[in-house]
Amino acid sequence: MHPAAKSITVVTRAADYIAGFLLLLVMGLVVANVALRVLFNGSILGTYEMVGYLTAASIGLALASCAVQNGHLAIELIVHRLPPRARKLIGPLFSLPAALFLLVAAYQLGRYGQRVALSGEVAPTTGFPFHPFIYLVAFGFFILGLVELVKAWPSVKGVAGR
Amino acid sequence: MSDLAVGVVGIIIFFVLLAFRIPIAYAMMIVGFAGFAFLGSPGAAWGMLSREIFSTFSSYSLSVIPMFIWMGFLAYYTGIGSRLYQFAYRMMGHYPGGLAIATQGACAIFGAVCGSNTATAATIGAIALPEMKRYGYADSLATASVAAGGALGVLIPPSVIFIVYGIATEQSIGRLFLAGIIPGLLLMVLYILAVVLLVRRHADLGPAGRKSSWRERWQALRGGMVEVLLIFAFSLGGLFAGWFTPTEAGAMGVFAVLLVSLLQRRFSWQALKKSLLDTTRTSAMILLLVGGAIVFGRFIALTRIPFALAGWAAGLEMPPFLIMAVILLIYLVLGCFIDALALILLTIPIFYPVVVTVLGYDPIWFGVIIVLVVAMGVITPPVGMNVYIVKGVAKDVPLETIFRGVWPFLLALFACIALLIAFPQIATFLPGRLG
Repeated sequence: MHPAAKSITVVTRAADYIAGFLLLLVMGLVVANVALRVLFNGSILGTYEMVGYLTAASIGLALASCAVQNGHLAIELIVHRLPPRARKLIGPLFSLPAALFLLVAAYQLGRYGQRVALSGEVAPTTGFPFHPFIYLVAFGFFILGLVELVKAWPSVKGVAGR
Repeated sequence: MSDLAVGVVGIIIFFVLLAFRIPIAYAMMIVGFAGFAFLGSPGAAWGMLSREIFSTFSSYSLSVIPMFIWMGFLAYYTGIGSRLYQFAYRMMGHYPGGLAIATQGACAIFGAVCGSNTATAATIGAIALPEMKRYGYADSLATASVAAGGALGVLIPPSVIFIVYGIATEQSIGRLFLAGIIPGLLLMVLYILAVVLLVRRHADLGPAGRKSSWRERWQALRGGMVEVLLIFAFSLGGLFAGWFTPTEAGAMGVFAVLLVSLLQRRFSWQALKKSLLDTTRTSAMILLLVGGAIVFGRFIALTRIPFALAGWAAGLEMPPFLIMAVILLIYLVLGCFIDALALILLTIPIFYPVVVTVLGYDPIWFGVIIVLVVAMGVITPPVGMNVYIVKGVAKDVPLETIFRGVWPFLLALFACIALLIAFPQIATFLPGRLG
């Protein structure tokens, strides 16, 4: 495996583990909130907000790992019926722009996070700044784009070398 | 070019991207963004995309999805699925076709702790297929009964598809869950009837197994059934009683599975880790799909296609049930090519206003019908998701054999849909009484 591809795999795996840990936190937070409500008629301030932001970060960080395992749903209708040469030519024609789109989307998500940070927008109940969670989703999109780029690269090289 | 024409071109490009194996979520985002940029400006389109993606991922209502998925994976990795199948097998295994019947029962009960049809098919398939092979069942019956049984997982609550439908149409998830219970049980009975009729004509398809003693049955009941009932009551009982929000019901369900596995000393860190990683990946796939559908939906709304379609349907001089039949036919055809969840997300903004506002159908009933119709898609060629899942477990069985075995179950699904159309109360009775 190319060193760059290897590094992306390591980052993807680490992001996936963090995503799992964040989900565990979400479950713990919700159960604690329910227990407090039922047993002591109390609650944890901002649970709904926190659950939303933690879930967003968890999902964002797991996007690339899902792509590594070809988990994002796609339909096998035409491409697998084409001869191998046509498949090699057509593959990068669609997958490369899709990967680049994801990378630009990651950049735009980052800019959105920056706008939220500069505007001073905070979570409505607890008042804490939530833009770091947008950055985490942007980072998730960035590694997703890199994973798709790495997946598309062999066919790009194949076409270029022809 | 008119906005309507831009919309039609966008939909065509979307299908071209799908045909060339671009993941559905990416295709929806790309076309939704490009269309929005064409009708507005690229800056506005990027702003819309960033906002919608983050607000989808951070939506409290959608955080229910990972919870119910996790509940299913945890139940699988802690062996609840296997004990459930043992229970169903002990009760029914000695009848001709009994293992295929037990598979339907196990799928229905496992559906009560798992929100996904593919997870249900994978879990029960991994346990049931080796057993059926051991007892000399025909590959076609064994594999098809698992693939079809998996569809019970989307009807019997919790159901990820009902959650997504409920959020997309602003319907109560609790009422949708209630609406799925009777149709789910009815479908299970129809599946069992299909197996009984099949083995009556071809006894060699499913030979009878050994009869279990009452002691064995009692042990299996204690081991498999009681824990599922406890988890179901703890999680969904609280939701139906109005004590929990759907997200809380999901988290409490995960907590209940963890508690049961700890009390039974079946908990392992490995099971927790595997279930968490499987959950994050599956949830990422689903939520990116939802995010993509929202971006695509914003573009479609801008083109005014849903309004044009609703106006056209309102002007048709046809009885509503005929228009409904045409819509169901479209779902049936598209369901053969597009995944159930993606299809619902993609078409709800277009068809929901027609069916509910113009034709006046009950939105809860429509949700159940749509879930049933798209459930057909998970077992029909060429993109029968459950068939591929079963093929992954039974690697030596050709795909054609599985698809061939699915026909009796498809007829059962048709019968279930016909009954629901003739008697909508099958779906609306429980939400009307308890919702």
